Amino acid sequence: MNISFLEFISYSFVQRAFISGIFVGVLCSILGLFLVLRKLSLIGDGLSHVSFGAIAMGLFFGLYPIYFAIPVVILSSIFIVKLTHKAKIYGDTAIGVVSSVGLAGGVLLASISHGFNVSLLSYLFGNILAISTSETYLSIALSLFVLVTVYLLYYELFSVTFNEEQANVTGIKSDKINLLLVILTAITVVLSIRVVGIMLVSSFFILPAVTALQISNGFKSAIFVSALVAIVSVISGICASFYLDLPAGASIVIVNFIIFLFSFLWRKGM
Amino acid sequence: MTKIVEVKNLNFSYGAFEVLKDVNFSIENGDYVGLGGYNGSGKTTLVKIILGLISPNSGDISVLGKDLKKFKQWSRIGYLPQNVSLFNPIFPATVYEVVSLGLISKKKFPRRITKADEKTVDEALQELEILDLKDKMISDLSGGQQQRVFLARALVNDPELLILDEPSNALDAKTRNNFFNLLNRLNKKKGMTIILITHDIGHIGEHANKLLYLEKSVVFFGKLSEFCHSEKMEGVFGHESQHLICHQH
Amino acid sequence: MKKIIILSMLILSLTGCGNSVPLKKVDNTKNKITIITTLFPVYDFAKSIGGNKADVILLIPPGTEPHGYEPTASDLVNINNADVFAYTGDFMEKWVSGILNSLTNPNLEIVDTSKGTEIISGDPHIWLDFEHDKIMAKNIADAIIKKDINNKNYYEKNLQDLTEKFNKIDNDYRTTISSCQTKEIVYGGHYAFGYLVRRFGLEYIAAQGLSPDSEPTAKGLIDLVDQVKRDGVKYIFYEELASPKVAETISHEANAKMLLLNNLESLPKNDIENGKTFIDAMYQSLDNIKVGLDCK
Repeated sequence: MNISFLEFISYSFVQRAFISGIFVGVLCSILGLFLVLRKLSLIGDGLSHVSFGAIAMGLFFGLYPIYFAIPVVILSSIFIVKLTHKAKIYGDTAIGVVSSVGLAGGVLLASISHGFNVSLLSYLFGNILAISTSETYLSIALSLFVLVTVYLLYYELFSVTFNEEQANVTGIKSDKINLLLVILTAITVVLSIRVVGIMLVSSFFILPAVTALQISNGFKSAIFVSALVAIVSVISGICASFYLDLPAGASIVIVNFIIFLFSFLWRKGM
Repeated sequence: MTKIVEVKNLNFSYGAFEVLKDVNFSIENGDYVGLGGYNGSGKTTLVKIILGLISPNSGDISVLGKDLKKFKQWSRIGYLPQNVSLFNPIFPATVYEVVSLGLISKKKFPRRITKADEKTVDEALQELEILDLKDKMISDLSGGQQQRVFLARALVNDPELLILDEPSNALDAKTRNNFFNLLNRLNKKKGMTIILITHDIGHIGEHANKLLYLEKSVVFFGKLSEFCHSEKMEGVFGHESQHLICHQH
Repeated sequence: MKKIIILSMLILSLTGCGNSVPLKKVDNTKNKITIITTLFPVYDFAKSIGGNKADVILLIPPGTEPHGYEPTASDLVNINNADVFAYTGDFMEKWVSGILNSLTNPNLEIVDTSKGTEIISGDPHIWLDFEHDKIMAKNIADAIIKKDINNKNYYEKNLQDLTEKFNKIDNDYRTTISSCQTKEIVYGGHYAFGYLVRRFGLEYIAAQGLSPDSEPTAKGLIDLVDQVKRDGVKYIFYEELASPKVAETISHEANAKMLLLNNLESLPKNDIENGKTFIDAMYQSLDNIKVGLDCK
């Protein structure tokens, strides 16, 4: 059965998938660029595991999980940064520490409250094709908030990411900027998981940035490429879900990876 | 003569380990100071304290006539740190973007780079003869070219004080020559005060007008000519070394 | 070094190592036989048959997704110490075959309740066919009687009562469904009603495959929405234990309402504690089917 592309996008859930997917994708891919360059690329993944634990804790105490998770995840992200500075370990190791505690904590709590409560699982496996209208508004609002912040603090973020010491010398408070980046990431992870699930959030934080590093010719260009890759992946992935009858989330990730592969090969060929 | 940097009774320790003890000196406008001492003598630490990157345990420091604790005009100081090429090698940034980062210190929130700024950056690049590299990725440049990019960034605000930490280590002889000629020009023609850290005392004698020799405390600070005629210094360094340094002039 | 050893021992003792394992028992009376069951339907049947002479325990906690369940160490100990262990079938509790080697109690009666049922490949929800329920109940009863031959009559009476209830509800379903305006169940969850559909001649489309975790594809959803609109379906059914988001999306898109249809793998904790039975829940589902398919 063939329907035209116009008919395809007339379905409201398809529209919501495109809109939320694009906003969340752009948001995560831009933050992801900064994080990858600071060697905190797995923080999206790590904070997702912490979200799992935080949401389990929230459900355990009978509180609305998202409101509970946000401060917990923010604190965890700050803790990751502090661990990196004080405990003589690198960023990725600190992430691993916090991430495994979050995951195990969640498993423990889930089992104490007798089993994986299904609402817990649904927080993890967000479904991009089943996004509600309110979740779409949430994605747009969150994206705009974070993107405006990044725009206003572009040079601070750029400078600190490039070389922290130099940034300090030019009068930028790099501690505060690092903290801000990590807190924005925490909020983004918690809210985006609800909308598109852990798998997509983790990959949005890494794949577009890594692609940008292959083919961009400047920092502004890298940001732009990251965002563009995220957008193209979302659109292609959802289309693949229809035209090829494949699961949308996984398709987005695979397309993302294929784009990375092409850009890598193109760069090698140059 | 205005004092560009004034340090009184500076002390700093890493835990129990004393790095700087009772350091006192002042640098005047237009000085070209060679800061020497063996590895680990506290040179880099001293410079980082002056730049506000590290807090001393005790002491009074003033920079450009102001108390360091209250100093905020960082655009008046340029800094070229040690081993600049140890920035993240995969970082995607053009030469232009890196140099324009230097302008940030002059700006207030929200910081933006304007068309006028672009001209300023171009001028800095021109000064260092790398204008043709403007749109190249910094990771694609040679060590010497990268050095000039970071120097351009340090100079883009036309600072009154320029601090360099072992800038010539990775450079070949010709590049090093050009580099030092440039520094000379900045010092003599523009009156820029320069502090240059080096462990190669022999070389610095050729360019600097003052020598600050550090070994946890100040062993010597003064005009190069004083150093060369000092019997005390001959005693400390040995006749050969003193001769080596002074012979350059 | 000594410090590390002492610290290790301290940690081990804190987590209970060396203590005896408490057994899960509802009633400590030695007279009752202990039956450990896995899924709710098995639990319910065992309870009905065992009556006041059996202590029936539901292993998989209510509200838990049974497809991914993994037994804990204390689960294994409890099973080993029971009189009867009844489970749905190897296709459902995939972990059972793995633990059989670990069980050391030669007197334990292990019941594969699916013995004798007509299994649809890939679909483990066999209890949604009342004929199967009768077979499952008989299998359980046989095992209980083996362990407690003295009370044979009591158990056989209970089995008979239960069988009659199954016959009655089967009949009620048949009668009701024959009067339905539409025979199409649209389900915004995973494919779980194959047996019900087979028994009563219904049609059935689900948004997802057999696994509760599988993501629906855009094509799948669009086909479903189109079919719903085409066939004038007014109600979308959704499942108890999984996220209703997919069902919500379909119903929102197709302007339909939502109705709960429980596949009885489990019931909410409160319902079980309040004594809701399998048959009660199936009658509730029938009520919803009545509304959803527009029957009398």
